[in-house]
Amino acid sequence: MDRLLDNYHYAAAAILFCIGLYSVIVRPNIIKKIIGLNIMETSVFLLLVSMGWKDGGIAPIHGGGAEAAAMVNPIPQALILTGIVVAVSTTAVALSLVILLYRQYGTLDVDRLMKEEESESAPAGAGSGEG
Amino acid sequence: MKKVISLCFIGALGVLLLMVMASMPRMGDPQSPTNTRVIDRYLEGAEEETGTENVITGVILNYRGYDTMGEVTVIFTGLAAVLAVLGRERRGRIHAYPDRSPIRPSIIVRSAVSFLLPFIVLFSLYTVLHGEISPGGGFQGGAVLAAGMFVFAAAFGLWRAGRTVPPWLRYAVEGAAPVTFFLVGAAGLVGGAEFLTYMLPKASAGLQPSLRTWMTLLVEGGIGAGGAMIFLSILMAMAREEDAGGQAA
Amino acid sequence: MSDALSLVLLALLVVTALAATLSRDLLAAIIVFSGYSLVMALLWQRLQAPDLALTEAAVGAGVTTVLFVTAIFKTQRMEEEAGRKRRRGGGEKEEGRP
Repeated sequence: MDRLLDNYHYAAAAILFCIGLYSVIVRPNIIKKIIGLNIMETSVFLLLVSMGWKDGGIAPIHGGGAEAAAMVNPIPQALILTGIVVAVSTTAVALSLVILLYRQYGTLDVDRLMKEEESESAPAGAGSGEG
Repeated sequence: MKKVISLCFIGALGVLLLMVMASMPRMGDPQSPTNTRVIDRYLEGAEEETGTENVITGVILNYRGYDTMGEVTVIFTGLAAVLAVLGRERRGRIHAYPDRSPIRPSIIVRSAVSFLLPFIVLFSLYTVLHGEISPGGGFQGGAVLAAGMFVFAAAFGLWRAGRTVPPWLRYAVEGAAPVTFFLVGAAGLVGGAEFLTYMLPKASAGLQPSLRTWMTLLVEGGIGAGGAMIFLSILMAMAREEDAGGQAA
Repeated sequence: MSDALSLVLLALLVVTALAATLSRDLLAAIIVFSGYSLVMALLWQRLQAPDLALTEAAVGAGVTTVLFVTAIFKTQRMEEEAGRKRRRGGGEKEEGRP
């Protein structure tokens, strides 16, 4: 338990993950869900990069007399760089789907969307031809 | 009721995660497995084997080159998905953007953006080209350039941004990121060695250093420019009004 | 001393994430989310990752925020109240736009 106070970066990442998960599950608005998804992604990035930390570490760039033994771990940083770009691409595609959904149904609330979807598919074949 | 169950579930998950975090090795421990296993090879071998001083650029372009290839494919596929969902620009039609209003943004915003924008573009160019000896690289420079163009689009209107960066330029540069990557990688095949040969440490040790640097710069420039144009095209696609009969604005 | 700065930044991170989740106004949530990205970029610098700080600052404050604002501009600004049938503030756009 005392190590939790030493690993406060990891604890903050776990708390942020739960906040993001709350936003995805409980909030009915779709844009809130996308914001929650982004918070979850950045919390995982925080966890991975802070696992590479070394006491008294310096940035992993040679030159200017930096010795290699004191550098922090460069592998998580390289992977998370890819991860940030993939996260923004995913957000862009999700937002374009939200725009299309709003054009089609006129609402962004998940409960109302599900009701309208049920009422469209219940009379078989009648609601799918119009639009 | 559903909210209470969800909150209990999230609370239980949070407690479980905190217990896991408490049982991990202490952060920054020099004897922990993340700091002792593999990274000595990467940190010490980076300068000779990859030819770059920035270890991260060496890792993403050389040791983990296939991951970067996957990433340029992902951002290009993201653009394709957005255009498939929202509709692409038709040749010869003038598309309406929802900001041709008579009220322009305030003079503070306009003068600040016009003052800052040349420096942002210059800084992005510097970041891309200096990726090997300082923090920087292809993605970083591309993200800074994309942020600069987004600020321009937000301050001056999308129609003006669409005129400044015309569609033919966007179409030409969007594909630059995957295309330069695959071309430079295939150049190794033409020369008789393996695919992505400038990237493999053992194979590229035989190339001259200047050739390796030029190929790395070409890939970084392609990734940076392609990434920025892809983000701008995604913004234009999202903000475009849907055509109702094809009338000009 | 350096631990105190990291602790303050992490606490600020949790507070901004909570504020972005709990607010009803979507535009306010997005501006707070842009602040979250800024604090995250400062944290990357504290963890000695300059490439990540550069990318997160450019992507979080520039690209993601403007994409979200465009999406809100095309849809609606206020989150709907649970149980109400009519949309409140559904046609509200920024001032000056027709």
